[in-house]
Amino acid sequence: MKVPTSKPDALPPGVRRFLYFVFCWLNRNIIVLRGIGAVLRLFPYVGGWFGVAARASAVRGVMTRPQSFSNTAHAPNLASGEYLIGMDPGPTYAADKQLLDERLDALKPTLPASADQEARRLVADLKNQGTKPFDLIEDYLMWIVFRAMDPLFGSATDRMAAGAHGNVKDSGLQRQYLMEIRYVAGQLLAGSSATLRVQRRAELCADALRARISGVSNDIQQAWKVPASPDLERNAVGLAWISHPVTVQSGALVVQELLRRPEVHKALRDEAAKLGDKVWQCGNFRNSVRNHVLELMRFRPIFPLLARDVPRDTEFQTGARRNAPCPGGGKMTVLSIAAMFDPQAIPDSKQFCPSRDWGKQEDLRWLMFGYGTRQCPARVYAVEILTSALIGLLILPELQLTDRESKAITYDGALMSDMSVRFTEQAGKDSHA
Amino acid sequence: MLKMVRQQMICIIATRWSDVSMDFSDTGDVYLALKALFEDVEVVQFASIALLPARADSPDQLPSLMLELAIEEGIDPRDMLYRLVNHPSRAMWSLYRSYAPDGGPDIESSRNEHLLEKLMERLSIAEGGFVGARDRTARQIQKEKELLDWTRNEARALKATKQYGADRASFALALARRAFQDPQFEWAFEPAPRSYWRGSGASISAKVGYVLVVFCLWLTVVWPVSALLGGLIRVCAWLFEVLRSAVQPAIDAIYWVLCASIRGAIALIVLGLLWWLFLIALPALSARWRHWLDGIYRELERPTQTQSSSRTYVLCWIFGVPLVLALLACALVFTIWPGVILSTFFAQKVLVATGLLAIFALICVAVDRSDRPAKGSGSDPHEDDVPRAQQVHQSIDSCEALLAEERVAHMVSLTDIRNPNGWSAWWIRVSLGIVTLFGRVFFTGGRLGDAPGIHFGHWHIIEGGRRYLFCSNYDGNFGGYLDDFINGATAGTTLAWRWTTLLPRKSAVFGQPEVKEPRSFPPTRFAIFRGVKCEMKFKSYARDSMLPHVYRFEARKATLDQIDLATALRDALFGERNDKNDDLIMRAIES
Repeated sequence: MKVPTSKPDALPPGVRRFLYFVFCWLNRNIIVLRGIGAVLRLFPYVGGWFGVAARASAVRGVMTRPQSFSNTAHAPNLASGEYLIGMDPGPTYAADKQLLDERLDALKPTLPASADQEARRLVADLKNQGTKPFDLIEDYLMWIVFRAMDPLFGSATDRMAAGAHGNVKDSGLQRQYLMEIRYVAGQLLAGSSATLRVQRRAELCADALRARISGVSNDIQQAWKVPASPDLERNAVGLAWISHPVTVQSGALVVQELLRRPEVHKALRDEAAKLGDKVWQCGNFRNSVRNHVLELMRFRPIFPLLARDVPRDTEFQTGARRNAPCPGGGKMTVLSIAAMFDPQAIPDSKQFCPSRDWGKQEDLRWLMFGYGTRQCPARVYAVEILTSALIGLLILPELQLTDRESKAITYDGALMSDMSVRFTEQAGKDSHA
Repeated sequence: MLKMVRQQMICIIATRWSDVSMDFSDTGDVYLALKALFEDVEVVQFASIALLPARADSPDQLPSLMLELAIEEGIDPRDMLYRLVNHPSRAMWSLYRSYAPDGGPDIESSRNEHLLEKLMERLSIAEGGFVGARDRTARQIQKEKELLDWTRNEARALKATKQYGADRASFALALARRAFQDPQFEWAFEPAPRSYWRGSGASISAKVGYVLVVFCLWLTVVWPVSALLGGLIRVCAWLFEVLRSAVQPAIDAIYWVLCASIRGAIALIVLGLLWWLFLIALPALSARWRHWLDGIYRELERPTQTQSSSRTYVLCWIFGVPLVLALLACALVFTIWPGVILSTFFAQKVLVATGLLAIFALICVAVDRSDRPAKGSGSDPHEDDVPRAQQVHQSIDSCEALLAEERVAHMVSLTDIRNPNGWSAWWIRVSLGIVTLFGRVFFTGGRLGDAPGIHFGHWHIIEGGRRYLFCSNYDGNFGGYLDDFINGATAGTTLAWRWTTLLPRKSAVFGQPEVKEPRSFPPTRFAIFRGVKCEMKFKSYARDSMLPHVYRFEARKATLDQIDLATALRDALFGERNDKNDDLIMRAIES
């Protein structure tokens, strides 16, 4: 297994920190990225100068040419070693993809029931909270996603979370495991601009994760019913860090966007209240919440921009009169957030409209998960899990951030590490009553 | 930037250590557990454990357990400790178990969390340090060593075929081809990574350019901000009909910041030019000037108290110090009140102040008796006052003997900080900041000044600023190491040690060294001269301050020269084919 080694910072002191600050700031203030996207859509040739695809047509064009615009751009940010997301198509990619599809198939029979079950359990606990603040990520989303994704590792899940010699009932060890994979995933989100500290932390956690997986490889082998091989461990490592943290972060972003739209929140809560105990069974309501999740993710995607390697000289259609040249050996950027708000492709793109008829543009609806053959294969499952999590929140007393957004949400670079929420005072009293 | 260097060298000082009977021997559980932990974690390059004796005024006289960790660049100490504490081997818990005599919390995660918090409280990040083998991880060092060994073996095999005779270029090319075709060296296709100061920022022009860019960025921030604020104030004054004279001071203040920045830069450049002119250009052009400067330097560095050295010292105080201070004051005045500097009145003031300073210096030197031997002491001012029968404690000897063969040597020195502690600690921090900055930016080739062989050397101020800890991992032996410092990094070493003293203390445990008589660091001149040049006294002082280690871990047992050679070979084998690279390959296999 090829393991990336740590590299010193080749940039002058201060430059990386500045770049990372700008990157994180843009991620947190997504409206600025949308503004930049709007300008680049209007003047696509400007995007061409900088190798940025902004229009929906341009993004589609780039994402459907994986040989010319390669996913290997992700490879340096995979702290725990090679995995599908950073590979070019080939025998290893095909074998890994097949294994991944098999693992994802295990989710089919259990979702959304398993996510619903964990959400209900946590909702019951949280209802007794009163107006005491809690962390939406660590006390709610993290566990729903963890339990819903249980079938990915089957019987080995608990052993993996506790480590080869740990007590499977020790929730602290599970939390430690979830933090470990969060930091490994954080490097993928932060990209090459990440400071040395963020990179090193990801590498340390990746080392710990590899050692952990290696220690429980027999359990995984039995759960997956495949022969032992180095590829087994590599895939288990990759699947562990990529599945959980990205879904949790997406969930936090969805809730952040929802809390910024009190009227939408209220309408959904009213609908849930009307359904009463049938809220988990009502298919129409679930569809409506799912549509909301997708729309909220459109406004606040976890990957608003993506990098692609350009292995050989080529060009891409920006939407301007001339194509933009891309020199081989370089990189280009896909501004997917700009494409998701392209008025030429999506009518009333600026409006928050979960029930929008996407018609022929249905594929663009899932653009936050990538596009074409390299689109996230677990997108449907992720949305199902987040739908369950959101339904749980809707039946809880009304939520609010404990303070202003800048204080209630703690960021760790590009990652959201804490989201402190509580029930509104009235809601808290009602729930106690 | 400096923080990143400092964070590479950390110590955990567990005070009031009661478990002094813990078995750290090679066959003990703790030794094996720690070894396995550090080998598995792979980012710890050196580690050691030593027992620090308590201060004489400590009530219970319990020692402190020091765990020294030299880790790779960029890792936050908390992340490092988190990884170590939560490692499934539970080695850290076995080391620090005495903190919880009842066994601690039952749940493993709570126990680890508890331990992590305890260790974070006891964490000491180096105040300053130097890393010799920069930009190289333990894994990289290992891989490059394997490449070096492989190349030497291949070279032997190739030579046996007698195909190439004396044609070095063809021989190097054949070796490079073989290496390139071997899939195990795929990692070496990429040149060895280099950080900015060793890579694109290595040249002097890049360093000057960096400073210039930072200054220009500062101006580009100040300029628009001052223009914007000035405009805003004017608009507000016009809107609210405030008198222009009322807002003028604010506008002037903003303008002043901008001008003062530019004047400050000019003053710095002029000072730099003066330094260059008198200390570099003139000595190069005039032999007389060079000899004169060398003479002053030699006399200031002279370890013994001779008439000529005393005379030079006094004259420097009377003429040199006031002159330098006057120059600095002029630069400061030019930056802050530029109009004043051109007036005759100011020139007179400067002359008077310089004269007064010189008189004051003369009085100070006349009154100061610290540099003179006490009456009746019988010591000769022309000789070092060192007990000739200086004995090294057996435990230190044993530690050095253990590391003597094919291992990286190690020393731990513990001294006390001179009174007043706060003042001395502040100066130490400033001095170490300068040493660390120079080590990071200028001495990028693995040598600190002219001192080679330092892997990780670091200084800590501990116990609330009362004690000073120095740990070093170096090549060779202690005597040679100190000689390198005395001759190669005189000013830096004197700066780092001059605020220390050695107070009497009992041994940490039976069989470890104690300090019976108080000792002091050799006297210095102008903070950076003499000091370590009193060789015997300094060596004896350093020896007396040393403590033995009870545990030692080295990720790789290679000298700095071997590490550098292996990295250079990697770049030469997989780089462009030219004479320089061919020669390097041949030298690598022949050495």
